[in-house]
Amino acid sequence: MKRVILTRLAWTLGILLGVSFVAFVLMRALPGDFAIAATGAQSVAPEVLEGIRRQLGLDRPLIEQYVIWLGKALTGDFGVSFVTRQPVAGTVFDRFIVTFQLALIAAIMSIVMGSITGLASARLRGATDWIVRMVNGVMLAVPNYIVATLIVLLVGLYFPQFAILGYTPFLSDPVGNIAGLLLPALALSLAVSVTVSENIRAAVLEVANQDFVMVARAKGLRRGAVLRDYLIRNALTPVVTATGLKVAALLGGSILVETIFAIPGMGQYLYESINSRDYPVIQAIILLTAAIVVLVNMLVDIAYARIDARVRL
Amino acid sequence: MLETEMSETVMSETGPLLRVRDLHAEIGDPRAPVHALRGVSFDILRGEAVGFVGESGSGKSVTARAVMRLAPEGAKVRLRGSVDFAGRDLLQLDESEMLDIRGRRIAMVFQDPMTSLNPVMTVGAQIDDIIRRHMNLSAREARARSVELLGLVGIQDPARRADDYPHQFSGGMRQRVLIAIAISCDPDLLIADEPTTALDVTVQAQILRLLLRLRDERGMSLMLITHDFGVVAGMVETVNVMYRGRIVETGRVDAVFAAPAHDYTRRLLAATPRLHRSGQAA
Ligand SMILES: Nc1ncnc2c1ncn2[C@@H]1O[C@H](COP(=O)(O)OP(=O)(O)OP(=O)(O)O)[C@@H](O)[C@H]1O
Ligand SMILES: [Mg+2]
Repeated sequence: MKRVILTRLAWTLGILLGVSFVAFVLMRALPGDFAIAATGAQSVAPEVLEGIRRQLGLDRPLIEQYVIWLGKALTGDFGVSFVTRQPVAGTVFDRFIVTFQLALIAAIMSIVMGSITGLASARLRGATDWIVRMVNGVMLAVPNYIVATLIVLLVGLYFPQFAILGYTPFLSDPVGNIAGLLLPALALSLAVSVTVSENIRAAVLEVANQDFVMVARAKGLRRGAVLRDYLIRNALTPVVTATGLKVAALLGGSILVETIFAIPGMGQYLYESINSRDYPVIQAIILLTAAIVVLVNMLVDIAYARIDARVRL
Repeated sequence: MLETEMSETVMSETGPLLRVRDLHAEIGDPRAPVHALRGVSFDILRGEAVGFVGESGSGKSVTARAVMRLAPEGAKVRLRGSVDFAGRDLLQLDESEMLDIRGRRIAMVFQDPMTSLNPVMTVGAQIDDIIRRHMNLSAREARARSVELLGLVGIQDPARRADDYPHQFSGGMRQRVLIAIAISCDPDLLIADEPTTALDVTVQAQILRLLLRLRDERGMSLMLITHDFGVVAGMVETVNVMYRGRIVETGRVDAVFAAPAHDYTRRLLAATPRLHRSGQAA
């Protein structure tokens, strides 16, 4: 177990190192750089641009820049935002908290909606199955930013008294904070809930044909017990994987949904930072997102082993 | 009132434990159903072991499941006729009444022990749940009984093994576990549907001996399904030969062996490799 965890950690570090390098190179391969973005025009004298670049170390060879960045990052110093002059770690963390809240609410919504519709679909079949699959198909085809736009438009049209844009910090108004995140979370959760729903449906249908379910019924167990201990517990493994990946994606933040609802989350911040070529911020956000994906994958594997004793880590 | 109760008791005490009459089963689409059973009738007495033999597709499994009113997931099975069990027609009971019969009065052991246990539950938990469903026992008491049952069916070190998962057991051991599950609530009737088909030959004999021993010790009735005449020979008193959804021959097993009345039975016997026959030849 200890060895497994150590190997995993080594892997994780390797992955993060690779991701950070690729991100670093790609960012600088984009046309334009911070100096141009910050001054906003070509009319600025080249010496001014050069001055900015020299000051930020952008004039050095790419590899050297990366090594410097890496050296600091390894000590926990992710640098200072070119734009705000604030330490990156702090600002990104603040943004991440917002995205995290949003993702958490969206994840809960999708898991609840997806489980209910998926189970109903698989167990009741018939018309329920048909309707759920129809709705799932439609929701899958509609991107979340369309849903978000529709929500904003409809609420604005019919309930103009509700201010649904913006973000209320949790500490200043917990209820307002959560209430304000419900609609954006809904917009994010629909597509994810389809994944959960379709996966649960498929898994339950498959498990239902297994011999051990017949054995369970031959025991005289009640429907609820058969469903819980035999169907759901066995259907969980494939569902956990699919859901885990989707939740990881949610944690990375959604540029579009956060922008539409004017929520200062990580997705929106990434977008802003790419526009202003705020390299240290971009770098930190990408690294954090990668770390989240790796972490969620690890959690999924641990969940696997807990659900199914045949799985060895 | 008292009289009917009396007569019912008398009936169920003296009559057969299970009396199936003119049982029909249609499976699938009502417009083009598979007529799997076409008027099956048989009796099983208390404590009696009855064999069902017949080729694949003759309706043995459908008969067994009909007695328990079970159908594979998604299969629409319509049953007609009567299945009188201890004086009650099971086909007339509603589902909640059947839940109290399944596992408690009638239990079943299936063909494939490799797929019949829930892979994500410990073996002990899979015995606990049926016990707790039908008997008013605490979790601790149920586990004690599960361990005892595991020992009874020949699992070594049952207290420790109860916490193991199915994949930690061999096929023969898993079938023993499934037998432990089946007998856990002292059923009156144990249905075993080809319980040894999926097992090694050496293990087959052990499992059959175990079933017979349990039948003797507990006074259960046994409905033993097999496509192998050789299996029923030493095991059961009565044999029913099934062919295309009907019972074409029924009788004491030695009589049927000695003088098969039905053409199909003769062919079935001829097709069965029998140990004592090859013994005679040697
Ligand atoms: N779920 C089902 N859907 C449709 N037809 C079925 C179903 N189950 C059984 N049948 C049909 O019912 C008939 C009897 O099948 P059954 O399973 O009882 O045979 P069996 O005697 O048990 O054979 P085997 O020795 O192969 O187990 C067969 O013709 C089969 O095709
Ligand atoms: Mg069969």
